[in-house]
Amino acid sequence: MNLYTSFMLTTLIILFLPLVTNILYVHKNKSYASYVKLSIVYAFITSIIPTTLFIFSGQEMIISNWHWMIMQTLKLTLSFKLDYFSILFIPVALFVTWSIMEFSMWYMHADPSINQFFKYLLMFLITMLILVTANNLFQLFIGWEGVGIMSFLLIGWWYGRTDANTAALQAILYNRIGDIGFILTMAWFLMYSNTWEFQQLFMLDNNLNMLPLIGLLVAATGKSAQFGLHPWLPSAMEGPTPVSALLHSSTMVVAGIFLLIRFHPLMENNNNIQTLMLCLGAITTLFTAICALTQNDIKKIVAFSTSSQLGLMMVTMGINQPYLAFLHICNHAFFKAMLFMCSGSIIHSLNDEQDIRKMGGLFKAMPFTSSSLIIGSLALTGMPFLTGFYSKDLIIESTSTSNTNAWALLITLIATSLTAVYSTRIIFYVLLGQPRFISMSIINENNPLLINPIKRLAIGSIFAGFFLSFNILPTNIPQMTMPTYLKLMAMAVTLLGFVLAMELNTMTNNLKLKTPSSMFKFSNMLGFFPTTMHRPIPLLNLYMGQNMASSLLDLTWLEKTMPKITSKTQMTLSTTISNQKGLIKLYFMSFIASALMMFLLIS
Amino acid sequence: MLKIIIPTIMLFPVIWYSNSTLIWINMTSYSLMINLMTLPLLNQAGNNSNNFSLTFFSDSLSSPLLMLTVWLLPLMIMASQHHLMKESLTRKKLYLSMLISLQMFLIMTFSATELILFYILFEATLIPTLIIITRWGNQTERLNAGLYFLFYTLIGSLPLLVALIYVQISLGSLNYLVMNIWFQDMSSSWSSNLLWLACIMAFMVKMPLYGLHLWLPKAHVEAPIAGSMVLAAVLLKLGGYGMLRLTIILNPTTKIMAYPFIMLCLWGMIMTSSICLRQTDLKSLIAYSSVSHMALVIVAILMQTPWSFMGATALMIAHGLTSSMLFCLANSNYERIHSRTMLLARGLQAFLPLMATWWLLASLTNLALPPFINLIGELFVIMASFSWSNVTITMTGLNMLITALYSLYMLTMTQRGKFTYHIHNIKPSYTRENTLMSMHMLPLIMLTLNPKIIMGLTY
Repeated sequence: MNLYTSFMLTTLIILFLPLVTNILYVHKNKSYASYVKLSIVYAFITSIIPTTLFIFSGQEMIISNWHWMIMQTLKLTLSFKLDYFSILFIPVALFVTWSIMEFSMWYMHADPSINQFFKYLLMFLITMLILVTANNLFQLFIGWEGVGIMSFLLIGWWYGRTDANTAALQAILYNRIGDIGFILTMAWFLMYSNTWEFQQLFMLDNNLNMLPLIGLLVAATGKSAQFGLHPWLPSAMEGPTPVSALLHSSTMVVAGIFLLIRFHPLMENNNNIQTLMLCLGAITTLFTAICALTQNDIKKIVAFSTSSQLGLMMVTMGINQPYLAFLHICNHAFFKAMLFMCSGSIIHSLNDEQDIRKMGGLFKAMPFTSSSLIIGSLALTGMPFLTGFYSKDLIIESTSTSNTNAWALLITLIATSLTAVYSTRIIFYVLLGQPRFISMSIINENNPLLINPIKRLAIGSIFAGFFLSFNILPTNIPQMTMPTYLKLMAMAVTLLGFVLAMELNTMTNNLKLKTPSSMFKFSNMLGFFPTTMHRPIPLLNLYMGQNMASSLLDLTWLEKTMPKITSKTQMTLSTTISNQKGLIKLYFMSFIASALMMFLLIS
Repeated sequence: MLKIIIPTIMLFPVIWYSNSTLIWINMTSYSLMINLMTLPLLNQAGNNSNNFSLTFFSDSLSSPLLMLTVWLLPLMIMASQHHLMKESLTRKKLYLSMLISLQMFLIMTFSATELILFYILFEATLIPTLIIITRWGNQTERLNAGLYFLFYTLIGSLPLLVALIYVQISLGSLNYLVMNIWFQDMSSSWSSNLLWLACIMAFMVKMPLYGLHLWLPKAHVEAPIAGSMVLAAVLLKLGGYGMLRLTIILNPTTKIMAYPFIMLCLWGMIMTSSICLRQTDLKSLIAYSSVSHMALVIVAILMQTPWSFMGATALMIAHGLTSSMLFCLANSNYERIHSRTMLLARGLQAFLPLMATWWLLASLTNLALPPFINLIGELFVIMASFSWSNVTITMTGLNMLITALYSLYMLTMTQRGKFTYHIHNIKPSYTRENTLMSMHMLPLIMLTLNPKIIMGLTY
């Protein structure tokens, strides 16, 4: 006997309340923003209870209540799956969102429609929770699409800016490509398993056809911005910083990986799909890490680092370690949200300056933000005994001890090293050295609404990994024995990255400029991906829409062959047949002629 | 059935005897009351249909469509108020009479038991629509549009008459309820193929099938708001309804004959969606999006599976409400900007925030956001076509992608971005308009809670 269900539903209901009560206006003397924040705090506290119970008893559960439809042999119900993943993810997501909400109260305080902003953020979170707790594919799809649409609205928050609108559309475009995969999977399961419920899917044959699994992979690729469908993630930086923080930490981008984790029972025996995931993840993690190296926009660097970490999670899925991938999702949420908040704080203080070349020396001006930024970066690189270490180190260890694709492993290692390089680059340019920003900017980080969330997440970035891995029962046997050089591999590549980056960064101050090398161009131009794939294909489609579909087919062929030709033939026929030709002169002439003739005959 | 038809007929005296101040309110409230009377029809207990008389019946396929028709009349009246403001009283009354007669014909079309009666009424709906388009349209192109509308549908449906007479002779009856029992498999000869074509083409043109769709964008663009609404919401669905009714007597020939049409639809829906991506004219965009959605319905009906029938019926209702709402929104823009061009109406979100919400909701339903009934419809059709052939997922999936893109493109174009200076002094949105939008949106949301009432015969 336990109280999972009631507490979980309480959590969800508390979250739904602000959406409804906004109309009733119950928050009379408080601002709506703080009302939303408060409800998230309450939801977090109530969600802690079932999590504690779960850690204690390890009991998983399904709530199934409200029949929606029964069609033929398919039953669709509203059901929540409270298992290892959802129960552990909910408090993490709520904790991170709590901080983000508090941060956005500071960041967005001047926005006239701040209430709407908070409502959107809340809906974003709710859709993510729907996705996480869903027990059937349809409910998951509701959350899946909901997350996509909310990200569209939030990325395009500053709707007066063309860039924001383009970025929002771009996010939808790439996500929709992923959705094709999702629909494919749904259709396949409906056809061959005749169910969308997870238990029933997993109980059936585990040696599946590749098609639905590839569909899932495509869906995850779109949502988690894996290589090929990644460009929307850095573009999404056009949204306000709290949105980026939420999008990159606990919602949206991890949804793809989460989907794969959910469907892990179907994938664990299928080597082909695992190899695909491994290669895709490895390519993503390296490619985006390379892209992050030469970016100058601080948010872009952090965004690319998210993409790189998502690639790492995909690699983890590829080596059949879903629990590790999930742990990395949870840990990653803490420090990534904090990194975005720190950059938001810096950007706000420097009058919306995002270029790291125009920062520098902030170590003195913003000591708290700087130390949090350093903690976050170190956690990201997997510094021992910070949060990132507990999952990242394990991932690297299990990767290097598994006997799968060696090239993919090598690529992952290089990417790990590059993580240290770009993290150092942020620290070096933003915090160290001499100030390069306009001296007029008023730098003030002493706002409790700013300090508290960052502080909370900084503590999280230090200890969360420890607490999570300390409390959660190991679900699969971690790799215990390995040679010393493999054990130290993760450390070694990270340290190598640090040393290299420090050397390189100090060199930039001493060397004079020369024309950038082709490698620099590759990295700076995002691997030429936008110029080769991102623009030409949509352009081609738009041209096709205009020239072929509209001008050629609709306006010419269909118009000319059917209506126009019919009327034309009718016209010609009728003019040929009719004896009225409109030749007035001739008619009159003949009239005169006949009249004359008559006259002559009579006379 | 008479309790719906007679009140509808009695709407005529209501307008003609109302004085000028009460004309709108009388009409709207009275037509809403007729709605109440159709509500019990939705309760279809068991598999039997409600046979009201020898001529009229309703079952779970026709009653949602009936409901939609009846629901749409007050909405059309509300939407046309501004458009008719400058007309004289007699003309207003004439216009409303046209709408009422259209509703009357449609109610009888959807509830007729006899195919010949259905055919006559099907043709009769052309007359009021034609008058609405050619008399109250905005530009001179309306005449051309009316011509296209009339001739496409007439040419398509004349062979149907011949076919119906033939079926009457060979089967002895054209009653749906009897045909179910009496029909015999068609022989596999050329003549039965021709019979199939004759029976189906009328509805294909009405739906419209890609290639025969030219009348639709023209008619939609040129028609006044009520005309566009009823065209998109109900008249296109006549085609789907007719196909669903007639395919039962066209077995096994459908299996062979469906191939080229399914191909054409799958191809056409991508073509029309990509046309949408390049449209600058708001109404034309919505019209083309109707073509692409209706292509899905045709595919579903031709596949002949229970799932696809459910999907087709749900999609018809969902699309009826959604596209009608989009036309209303386009019209509310038109009344302010006096142009259908999207470029001229940028950044309206800053001025009309509530209207922007309606735009958002309409676009989201148009792109089939779960769990709206639009998604249920589309999803079922995609599932059915996937099980018909796995390859179709590339087409339907691509169409999903493009649909989302053009819906959001439309939203971004009109609501987002910097506003232009000539819209500084636009009117705020009226309560009438907001009511209109919410009356489109509410049924969509409520049907989402309980979609089984619009799932049709095979549910």
